[in-house]
Amino acid sequence: MKHALPVEELARDERFVRVELFTRAIDPRTVPDDRQRAGPRIKITPDRPDAPDAARVLMHGIFMGELQALEGAGRTCWDFETGSGPQEAPFELKLNMARQCWDEARHCEISVKLGEWMGTEIGEFAEATFLYEAACNPDPVLRLTGVNRALEGLAIDVFNTMREFARAAGDPVLEFCEDWMLADEVTHVKMGSDWLRKLTEDDPERRQRALEFQRVVDKLFSLGGFRGEDDDSPIRLARRFRELAGFADEEIDEIAGLSREARDEFLQHRAALAEDARERTGTDG
Amino acid sequence: MPVRVTPETFSMVNYDSAVIAATVEKLIADVGLPTDTPVSLEVDERVPLGKAEIRSVDPIELFVEGGAIEDAKRPREFSSEAALDVVGRLLMEVRDRLDPAFGAPPLDEEITVPVRTAWEIYAVGRLSRRGHRGQRQRRLYAFRTRHGFTDVADAAFESLWSGDGLCFADVVRISESTRQMLR
Amino acid sequence: MADPKKPRAAFAPWDRRELPGVFDVEESARRVGTYKWIEMRLFEALGGWVATVPELDVKLRLGTHCYHHAWHAELWHKRLPELREMNPDRLTGPPNENMVAFVAALTEPEAPELTIEKLVGVYRVLIPHKIAAYTYHLNNTSTITDAPTIRSLKFVLQDEFDDWRDGEMMIQSLLENAEDVERAAAHQARLEQLLVAAGGIAGPGTIGDPWAKPLEPEAEVPA
Ligand SMILES: [Fe+2]
Ligand SMILES: [Fe+2]
Repeated sequence: MKHALPVEELARDERFVRVELFTRAIDPRTVPDDRQRAGPRIKITPDRPDAPDAARVLMHGIFMGELQALEGAGRTCWDFETGSGPQEAPFELKLNMARQCWDEARHCEISVKLGEWMGTEIGEFAEATFLYEAACNPDPVLRLTGVNRALEGLAIDVFNTMREFARAAGDPVLEFCEDWMLADEVTHVKMGSDWLRKLTEDDPERRQRALEFQRVVDKLFSLGGFRGEDDDSPIRLARRFRELAGFADEEIDEIAGLSREARDEFLQHRAALAEDARERTGTDG
Repeated sequence: MPVRVTPETFSMVNYDSAVIAATVEKLIADVGLPTDTPVSLEVDERVPLGKAEIRSVDPIELFVEGGAIEDAKRPREFSSEAALDVVGRLLMEVRDRLDPAFGAPPLDEEITVPVRTAWEIYAVGRLSRRGHRGQRQRRLYAFRTRHGFTDVADAAFESLWSGDGLCFADVVRISESTRQMLR
Repeated sequence: MADPKKPRAAFAPWDRRELPGVFDVEESARRVGTYKWIEMRLFEALGGWVATVPELDVKLRLGTHCYHHAWHAELWHKRLPELREMNPDRLTGPPNENMVAFVAALTEPEAPELTIEKLVGVYRVLIPHKIAAYTYHLNNTSTITDAPTIRSLKFVLQDEFDDWRDGEMMIQSLLENAEDVERAAAHQARLEQLLVAAGGIAGPGTIGDPWAKPLEPEAEVPA
């Protein structure tokens, strides 16, 4: 078995369909600002007309995240030699990752039961493989900042929100599950922080890169769609994400090329839409 | 052709208006409307969300956002299953609204979320008996979030799901009496 | 009421624990070092395989078992300094090169179609050998001087039995025809020969056959 398993090789049965990081980023459609609900800081409240289905979609996304967190933690046990060098993982870190495997396996079990309870089929919605991609970084510290600190930190937000939703809707099963998963995730975030501190104690440059990776992951995951050409544009973030993940320049360029095409296409559409809106409302836009 | 889908060609999503029209035609028969009933369906392809509503009952004009009939696994691809679910539910509601015995309120009258949910359960339950995907547990979950996670709510769900010949007042009564138990 | 002044034996009549045991401290530490090494290789491999196995139930079980063996590695890691081995890494290693070859063959399967091979290697070859080695150790070490190792062995063995049962049931659920059975058997035979060549997870004498010598690595080991 090789070390470092690319995201395309994640083993799935036929129920699962994967959507690549960039596929979403290049989707030309837009969600009106007042209805932005993507990203982890969404609030689902029972009074929202689409609340039950929104909760189902969100919890299925969480299930996929749990599965990839399991796979990512497992790979960290395998991908590195045991040791304290920059491309190695200390024995105790591997023990933590093995522990996380068990926790995430339980979270998957919880999520499957929860799916049955909420009327969701396994694989009913597309799988975004973003978490596993963050878990593939060649530097174990970046894996831990990207996954444990950034994504699992955001997962805590989701679990809190969903626990509140469950309480408000009176759903005892969802509330119970969120309560338990929250407890574990807090432990995982702490693991990330502890190892970041420990492994970069004498290497400020490595710490800097790890923190930057965390920020990029956090932002990329939080964004629901295109947000213009600023520094937070998903394409730019995705590019930096890949750079920090050690992708070859050609690979990044290829992706960026595709993104640019999509962006041009998108901008044309947007111009047409603006025109259309002007016609409908009789304003100057 | 009694079914009209707009736009005729899609540019942001990979939908085919003829395929959508054929799906709607099948539904017209399935919900029990005369097969030559004219129906127009407007799809807003720009929005990947799932809003779906009846704009007019006579003539029948429906509106959906692109996301409502999108394949949940393949972004920007059409899903006939989703279209059958969503448009089927709308057409079943249209059928109820066209039936004087059902006694629906005027289209522009606000209906509370719990009552709307109850009506949807009643609509989807009938569709599922006509061979459509019912997703019973999904519907039950939606009903429970609005009516409580109790045996009483589950019994109320059952009466809607397997109900036939109910009128709007029945739907309101079932929903409201169940919610009363929550207080 | 019992008389508090009355002398009693240190060993109650039902307590049959005995000195001495078969292993001295050095041999104990040597064995424990090999245990830690193989537990590490196993939890790492299980962790790595999680992402390569498409069967959802197997994926989740492997994730769970990964931790069991990591915990065993931790128990042995902590036991080593107590056995006068202040540098646990020194004794953490394979008993011989044949064992390294066994682990290489065990962890070779990667493709998503090879779940049977992955499971057979672990649950029909390695874990039965671990159960044998740990049972031998448990039954032969001094029940008085080596009580801490015994305590760990009992916890570890409980996990091994449970995991072996899980694994065997997963394998049985995947074997659907004669071809599958033959695949499983062929892989098992190949790995078993490598492990026999290593003399067991702690090398020759793993289960107390002091006369046993490691086989030549190339001896009749089909590719
Ligand atoms: Fe988790
Ligand atoms: Fe986690």
